[in-house]
Amino acid sequence: MRLVRLLAILLVFAVCSFAAETPAQDSVAKSPAKDSVPQSPSDIAFSHFYVSVEGGEIYPWGDLMDVVENSVYVGLGVRYSYWENFDGIVHFDYTYFKNRMKVVAYPGVHQAMGRLGLDWHGRWIRPVMIGGGFICNWSRADGGEERNFDKPGGTLVDNETEFGYFVRLNVPFLKYERLRVGFDLLWEELWTLPKRSNMLSAGFYAEWRLW
Amino acid sequence: MSTMSLHKIFASVCLAALPAFALIEPETEGMEAVSRDDGTFLVGSPTYAFDRKNGAGGIHSESELWAPEKLRMRLLFNRLSETPSWTPHEASIWLRTGNELGDMIYQDPLYEKDDRPSNRTPILEGGFRSPAFMGLWATARLFQVDHYSDETMRTRNRYVDDSFAWFGENWPMFSTAYGGLGYTGHGLNASVLAGEEYVWVFGESSRWIPIHYSPRVEARADFWDLSLTLAYENAEFQNRKKSESGTRTEWNGSAYYRCGKLCKDGMLWFGAGVQFRTVEDDGKLYTGLEDDVVVWPFAQLRLTPLKDLSLDATFGVNNRDWLLQDSVEYKIAAMPRLGLVVGEKNVAGTRLNPIADTEEYFDGDTISLAADGSMQMHELYVRAEDSLSVFRLGARVAGWIEHGAETFDTTGFVNDRNLVYRHGDVARIDEWIQGLSGEVWLGIDYGEMFSFTALGGYEHIWGPSREFEVSPVEYYAAFEGDWLLNGTFRIAHSLRYRSDARWNLRSSDPKVIKGDWYWDASFEQRFPKYGIFLNGTLLHVLSDDVVQTPNGNYDRLRFVCTVRKTF
Repeated sequence: MRLVRLLAILLVFAVCSFAAETPAQDSVAKSPAKDSVPQSPSDIAFSHFYVSVEGGEIYPWGDLMDVVENSVYVGLGVRYSYWENFDGIVHFDYTYFKNRMKVVAYPGVHQAMGRLGLDWHGRWIRPVMIGGGFICNWSRADGGEERNFDKPGGTLVDNETEFGYFVRLNVPFLKYERLRVGFDLLWEELWTLPKRSNMLSAGFYAEWRLW
Repeated sequence: MSTMSLHKIFASVCLAALPAFALIEPETEGMEAVSRDDGTFLVGSPTYAFDRKNGAGGIHSESELWAPEKLRMRLLFNRLSETPSWTPHEASIWLRTGNELGDMIYQDPLYEKDDRPSNRTPILEGGFRSPAFMGLWATARLFQVDHYSDETMRTRNRYVDDSFAWFGENWPMFSTAYGGLGYTGHGLNASVLAGEEYVWVFGESSRWIPIHYSPRVEARADFWDLSLTLAYENAEFQNRKKSESGTRTEWNGSAYYRCGKLCKDGMLWFGAGVQFRTVEDDGKLYTGLEDDVVVWPFAQLRLTPLKDLSLDATFGVNNRDWLLQDSVEYKIAAMPRLGLVVGEKNVAGTRLNPIADTEEYFDGDTISLAADGSMQMHELYVRAEDSLSVFRLGARVAGWIEHGAETFDTTGFVNDRNLVYRHGDVARIDEWIQGLSGEVWLGIDYGEMFSFTALGGYEHIWGPSREFEVSPVEYYAAFEGDWLLNGTFRIAHSLRYRSDARWNLRSSDPKVIKGDWYWDASFEQRFPKYGIFLNGTLLHVLSDDVVQTPNGNYDRLRFVCTVRKTF
């Protein structure tokens, strides 16, 4: 049900998005060099730069649903032009997961998320963007005691870091001068053991073009 | 053949079809053995690896052999290593982090203790070197590699009285911080660095010996063709379990004149230098240097009597040891396009590393690190490389013989939890060992955009292999290269297979390191106009998690990312 709801929301935004101009289109279309000599990638790089704030909900997937509850996340982002059809993205997000399993007593887990990747905005899908990259998550339990390290959940009492990858769909649907608003749907897989860990997040962002 | 093996081979063949790159950057300088398999490269720690290239000649590893090029490497017990590096970076600011993949995070609450994987460990590094102002610059660096620490951690941590690192509780094999000033200009490049360092070195007894350098100071100066190095080290040793402690105050350094431009224009090239160490030991230490001092003068010669004939020799001698490394190489001019070279090289001497300590003290035993007599190794090789359009094709065939090779005469073993230590002395194999090796490679180069190299090698060694510290791998295959897309995005791969290697002397039963596939991949966004580089690298994707050296730590799949801004 949750996925259906998300897909429905996504569809609405996707339709809306074609009424808006993507930042990436903007960066290329307004470039004076577009009509003359094609720009080299090193000229396109950082020719446009955007900062954003984002908020939404993050959903643990599979077995993880038994461990922590859905949670709200907030974050900051940076986007920069990289190639003609690619933007680079850097994101820092934060969330607090409430604990469902309380073998080791702590109410929840702090999680900071860093993401580095690329968004592709080829002409076939503009203004929608598809992206992917690497992710690094840092987690630490809100409380707990280190003597419980060997009990289920105990390792989170200390700092834990893991890497993984993400893919995402970025649907901008509103534009006003330098401001753009959009919808971000992101799937991530962390390279944890014994199994990999997956989460889905969906949120809105407001993005401001600095240059 | 198991399903898993078939799966691996299939995956490997698929990946081999992709372009790949030769140089995948490991966690830190000096850990190149991680991303090489053109021979026997076995890593047990950032501070200990067996590194022997296929066909290198002799049964020793490269880091055991002294050479003038290694004057600024770190002496870790009796091996020379670039890790932990005290060589200043270029002007830049950088941050690096990574992790052995497989921390549990939210998988943790789902599994009981027995079903959980052991802990995975990270790396962290940050540093800068400022742009020069009137030639002056400043630098600082904090770095430690916690990879390769978990397996021996619970045994090692009983010997030290804290976490023995700048931060964290993984008892990493080294943890270093330093800062300093430098000057570049007027033909002078000089620096002075001071810092504090924790490092675990691997003894001939197979023990991990903790050393805390507090402080360590190193000064370097290069001007004209002269290189000077001077280091002061206050090294603290301890064994908390036995309530032992000791201090070594050491001065070491070198002066080295290398052949300059004027010299290179002549028929005779000449270089010379001297390296020294002097120590003052106090309290309980685990190694010893005879007479507390070693001075090692050496000279280098290169003679080119004919345009295509060159003779090189490096010779060092002191009151205890001598070491000669020389070679003759002839380019056969009749076939210039083929690049045919015939060469011969020799290594002979009383010790492979004459500046190392001479004794190790272990469990009431004195282990002699200097064997009587001398060794000699002679290698004859033929090498050719031809290129046609974008293709390169090359081959190298070599045969070598060695007598008096260094080995270890084991007289007993001691168990310490999951580790095994040994008694005995460094000794020699009083027999001739023979080796025959061959390598072939095929390369494709398309400007800077694309390059690919496939190479394979085979080596067979005849001799008393059970007396070798390591019986090297017999064959390897590697596929390496990279794409540079739009000059700004680099995708690099290295896919390799090596056959079995075997440690013979550090446990009662030989330890076989099974052959395996290794795949490294690196992705990098580059902004050359701004000097910004964003890199993500996966190391050892396909291989099984194994311990590659006796008393070593697990070699695991890991991810390392780096952000660097050059000035």
